[in-house]
This record gives sequence, structure tokens and C-alpha cells, in this order.
Amino acid sequence: MTEQTLIIPGDDINISEPTSHMTLGPNILHNIENNNLIPTTSGFLNVQTKKNNTIYYIESNTKRYIPNVNDFVIGTVVGTISENYRVSLNDFSTTVLLNQLAFPNATKKNRPFLKTGDLIYARVLRSDPDLEVELDCIDPTTGKEGGFGLLNGGLNFNVKLAFARYLLFNSNAEILNKLVSKCQFEIAIGVNGKIWLKTDDLKTTIACMTSIQQSQNWSKSEISNKVDAIFKSSGL
Amino acid sequence: MSRLELYSPEGIRIDGRRFNELRQFTSQLNTHPNVSDGSSYVQQGNSKVICLVQGPMESLSNTNAGGASKLDHNGPILSININYPPFANNVRKKRMRNDRRLQELCVVLKRCFLKTIVSKNYARTVIEVNITVLSMDGGLLACCCNAITLALIDAGIALYDYVSAISIGLYNQIPLLDMNTLEENDLSFITIGVVGDSDKLNLVLCEDKLPLDNLEALISLGIEGCHRIKQLMDEQVRLVGTDLLSKKQ
Amino acid sequence: MARDFDISTNQSTFVLEALKQNIRLDGRKLLQMRDLDIHISPDEYGYVEVSLGKTKVACRVSSEITKPYEDRPFEGLFQIKSEISPICSPFFESGLTSNSKQSNDELLISRLIEKAIRRSGALDVESLCIIAGEKCWSVRADLQFLDYDGNFTDISCIAVIVALMHYRKPDLEIDGDDIVLFNVDQREPTPLSILHIPICITFQFYNPNGDVENVKGDSNDELILIDSTLLEEKISLGSMTLTLNKNKELCQMIKSGGLNIDASVIMNCCILANKLVDELTDKIQTLLKIDALSRKSGMERELQVVNDR
Repeated sequence: MTEQTLIIPGDDINISEPTSHMTLGPNILHNIENNNLIPTTSGFLNVQTKKNNTIYYIESNTKRYIPNVNDFVIGTVVGTISENYRVSLNDFSTTVLLNQLAFPNATKKNRPFLKTGDLIYARVLRSDPDLEVELDCIDPTTGKEGGFGLLNGGLNFNVKLAFARYLLFNSNAEILNKLVSKCQFEIAIGVNGKIWLKTDDLKTTIACMTSIQQSQNWSKSEISNKVDAIFKSSGL
Repeated sequence: MSRLELYSPEGIRIDGRRFNELRQFTSQLNTHPNVSDGSSYVQQGNSKVICLVQGPMESLSNTNAGGASKLDHNGPILSININYPPFANNVRKKRMRNDRRLQELCVVLKRCFLKTIVSKNYARTVIEVNITVLSMDGGLLACCCNAITLALIDAGIALYDYVSAISIGLYNQIPLLDMNTLEENDLSFITIGVVGDSDKLNLVLCEDKLPLDNLEALISLGIEGCHRIKQLMDEQVRLVGTDLLSKKQ
Repeated sequence: MARDFDISTNQSTFVLEALKQNIRLDGRKLLQMRDLDIHISPDEYGYVEVSLGKTKVACRVSSEITKPYEDRPFEGLFQIKSEISPICSPFFESGLTSNSKQSNDELLISRLIEKAIRRSGALDVESLCIIAGEKCWSVRADLQFLDYDGNFTDISCIAVIVALMHYRKPDLEIDGDDIVLFNVDQREPTPLSILHIPICITFQFYNPNGDVENVKGDSNDELILIDSTLLEEKISLGSMTLTLNKNKELCQMIKSGGLNIDASVIMNCCILANKLVDELTDKIQTLLKIDALSRKSGMERELQVVNDR
């Protein structure tokens, strides 16, 4: 169950039914003195109830990505430092590290060779304030590849952070469902606001990219018609 | 236009040349063997330019090319400096070190040679080029460009081909090759740089107003001039080369 | 800190591949400009905001009365200030060392505007003279770069020239040695005398077969496009900027390095640029005409105030 209300810093968050089990997500602080919740950003309050646990978090749309553990991200390799690759998640921000052995079945002798400019899909392994952020390309549950690793071909582009999260966490996002009915494509979504897309054909890729990028500003009801229009105008 | 007759009805220019004649072009290589890795001296008429090349080297802390961290993984860092002392002109005039016009010329030359040097051979290196203008009588950019080509060759840096440059002016629909100061002051002109014997232009710079219809005539005359200069430079390089070779045996 | 845009190999190969098929990411053809949008300030003279796609600049023209230079007593002063601040993109930093890539770009842009507009004599500086050797107008155009998505040169040139054409300096009367300046409400201000309208067109060059092919090979199949976006600009292998006006005069031309381009290709670019410049000039002129009509003269304004009462 999900409900959304607009929250601005300074507002009080109403806890309708105080339960013993409560999880606080991003952008909410707990004031111990008067047992209140304090919002730290403006955005939409999300309350999700699962069994006997309520999850509170504020969904806000920032422009700059700050790494958090277990986030799925798309990065560009910008160089190597001893045993690590340097990976950039954002333009103009500090690069993060990706150990050369952080691939499934990688050994000293047998490891993937990445070049500067390569695109990778990875998971944030560690993000401590005092250490450099580190990525890895292994699915922690299986120890296998799990879709991580080098992204070959295709095209990557940027979207808003909140939109990227929406696409990644809602398996039935309207825009993606619509695109599925239009064409075949491979997609990787990084919560750092980067999306990688690959289809068999240049024009289709561009049409998909335009649709996804512009759908950020569309209402849900418009999506179907507008995507049709974009595909039509690019001659597909 | 002015008191001077820049181009007489008989087709003679102010210094007695025809429209398509170059000034006397002389060049020397390896003029400063002790202080530089490559050096050259170019004289076009009364314009005289010395060029010194240092490098390719790892990095120099005192250059403005930046420290080792700024080294480029894909090619050399080229830093070009033009030193234009006050005595080089007819009228003594002190130029500031950060003269915008000279800086622009440096950037233009830098970009021009970055594509001419076989850059993959010189990854993570610094090549420093210093040009001193001894005397200037027109064609600053062209002289500098020719001098750099020769100095780079002398330094043994791999180039795809020669870059030869020349300035061409326009006088009443008539293109004039290789302008001197008097002509430059009164006429609009362009400078072009040509790669080797091809018709391909590496460098084009025009700063004055010029009818578009005449551009083609200017460029085609310029290309001829550049090819001639390339020939003269090539002769000089071969002369020095054979001389070196004969001493070796 | 990574101080540059990180362009992945995937992006650059995709863009290049698309360009070979005459497709650009935003759906344009190779030789098609983005939509030019000129916003002229409705309530003052000499302030315009111009945008090409996402690229946006603003230009403000102002003037004051000063003493002319001693060696040029009959000429007024005119300067263009164009400093790129980090406002438009973190790519441009303030206070850079003289040799960095960014400051080179900045230097070339400011020199280019200077040459295209000031050196080509677009503004008649002699008309700015009030009393020879004593007093003259000093006109100043301040460029602000607001958003960066490629092609700063073309757009800033348009912004400056439109702002200059739109600007009106206060009317004045010379009474012996005294100068009487009139308020905008008292007397209709006078426009600057603009002799021609220079427009810059920047071409980007790409080689479908890579860098080395260009130097060694004989083929001249370089891809040429205009009005590049940031991504296209970043992966371009060379550029050339032409400045032309409607009288088919070349005001300025610069091709600094980059791919070596055959002379015939350059001539084709010139012809193409000429066509574009004609279109753009017409567009600017109609826009200014519409703006002039929509403005009320001082008298009308006063009457309007009375009416409103």
C-alpha cells in the first residue's frame, strides 16, 4: 500500500497508527525528545505498510547522485589506479573505485580488461564517509554475474534521479510497458540517473531514448499516444 | 586608398614582386643544437623567426603545461609560446605577455600541430615550442607555422606531413601572395596552412572583411604558394639530412 | 575530481554511426540548426536572451559618455565583455591557468566575437563621437552565458548583434561645451548605427574512418554538421567558424587545426553558410521590426498613463 503527500522541511509527519515496528528511509530523521519525525528535504512522503512493519521515506528529485550501498549504477571507466579502475558516476564529481577482481570468477590472471570510456553496470559495494566509494560487478546473492559488468554497444543517456529510481523499482512502469509493445530492447537503469539502451537499429534506439527522456514530463495517460507519435515521426 | 601604390597597373607590387611571387624564403635547421632538441630559423623576406623545440619529455615543472597529473594519455601536451620583443617591428612597441592576439595565435598553432604530430607515439609527454620573432614584416602566423614544422622535424618528432603556411591578401579582386607589412596594413588577408602536397587545409585564419566570391581565388593561390614553400623546406631538410649522413660515415 | 564530461565509448561510437546515416540524436539532419529563439526584453532597450535548443546566452548593451582615446579623437569606444562563468556549466571554471583546455576555448570564443563584430566594423564607432577629442559614447556589450549545450560561438554572436541593433542611446543636444541628455520620456532615444549584421556559423567535422585516414587517405568524405550539441562538440575532430553578412562578405574565418579539410569542401561550407546567414538575418530583422512596432513612443506612454488614471 502506498500513499503520497507533499512534504516541506518544517512540516510534521503524521504517524497515523504508531506501531512498534517502523523503518525510516532516506530524508527522514527521528527526533527522540518528542518522538517526532523530521523531514530533511522537500518531496513526497511515502508510507508503505508490510505486515507489521511501516516504512517511511521521502522521495525527492535531486540532480546529483550520492552513492549508497547496494545501489545499481551505470558508470564510465575513466582510468586505472593500480588494482582498481576509476569509474565516474556523475560528470564533474569525484570518481569511485572498481576493483579489477570484483568480477565473478576473476582471478589475478584471468580478469576482464576494461578500457577508458567503457560503460559498466555495477553495484555500490561500500560507501563510507571516510573511504573512497567502491563498486563491484557481482550479484551478492548468487555470486554470479547477474546482469552486471561491461555494457557493449548501445547508447547511454541521462534522466532525472527520481525518474531512474521509478523505472528501476516499478517493474510495470507505463513507459517501459509501452516500449515493450513497440520494439525489442535491452535496458540497464542506474539510480545515478543514467540509462543504457540497446536495440538492433539506430533509429529505434533514438526513438526509445527520446520517448524515455521526454516521458519524464508526461502524465501517465499521455504516454501511449506520445510514444506512438515519436515512433511514427522517426519512420518506424 | 592610400598614397602608396600597392599594385601598379603593370602588375608590380610595392616591393617589385608580381602577384604570385613569394618573398625570398630561407631556412636553417639545428641552429641551436646545445640548448634545444630541435631548432630552426625561418626568413621570409624581412620577417625572421627562430623556433626552439624542447621535447618530447616527461614533463617540466616550470612549464605552464601543468604538472605530471595533467599529462594526456592519448597524446602529447603541446605548449606553444610566441615571444614578440619590442624591437621586432618598425615601430617600437611593447607587447604584454598576455596579449590576446598572440595567445590566440598560440592556441591556433597548437591545435594545428596536435593533429599533425603522430600523437599516439608521444602519449604522456610534453613538447614545448618557443618562438622568438626577430623581425616582423608581415605573415606572422605563416612564419611561425613554417618554423615550427622545421623545428619539429629537426627534433625528430614524427609528423604525418609538412605543414606549410602563407598569407594571401586581396587588392581589387587580385590576390597577392605572401604579404609584407605595408600590404597587410592596408589590405585584408587570410592565412592558410596546407598539409604536404595535398589540397587539404589544416589552418585557415581570416581577420578582416573579404568578399566571399574572392575566397576561392585566394585559397587556390595560397595552396600553390604553400606547395612551393613545402618544396623549399623539403630541400633544406634533405640538405641537412644528407650532410648529417655524410659525416656519419 | 573529474573536471570534464565523461563521454563513454558507447556514446561516441553510436553518435558517429548515426551521423554516417545522416541521423542526429535529436532528430535533426546534419545541416539543420536547432530552433533559434530570441527573447527581447519588452520594457527596456538592449537586453536580449537567445537560445538554441538548450544553449542559452544573454546580452546587455549599455553606454556612457567618456573621453575618446587620444590617438583616435573621432571615434567612440566599443567593447565586448565575454567571460564564461561556471554558471552555464561546471566545465568552465573561473580563474584557470592559461594553458588549460577550457581557457583555450574561452579565449577563442571571446576573440572570435571580438573579430566578428568589433573588428569587422559592425558598429560604426565614428557615429559615437559627440565632441571630437572631448566627449564620446562608450558602448559596452556584456555577454552572459547561461546554459551550455554546445555551439556558444554562433549563439553569442547573434545575441550581441541583436542587442546592439535593439539598443537605443539617450538623445542629446550640444549647447556650446555643455551636453544636455534627454530622458527616454522626454525624447525618443536614438538607435546605434549598425553597418552590417555579421552572423557566425560553426561547422564540425568528423571522419567516418578515423583520424589517421584523414591525413593519409585521399577520400574527402568527412562528415560535416552545423549547430552541434555538447555531445557532438565533444567528439568532433575539428571545427571551423565562418562569419558572414548578408552582403556576401566574409568578416572572419577560423579553422584551427583539427581534421585537414579539402579546399573544395571549405568552399561548399561557405556557400551553405551564406544561405543560412540570409535566413537568420531575415529572421532577426523581422523580429526587431515586430518589436519596434509593439513599443510605444514616449508621448504615447504618457497618454497611456493619463488614460489609465
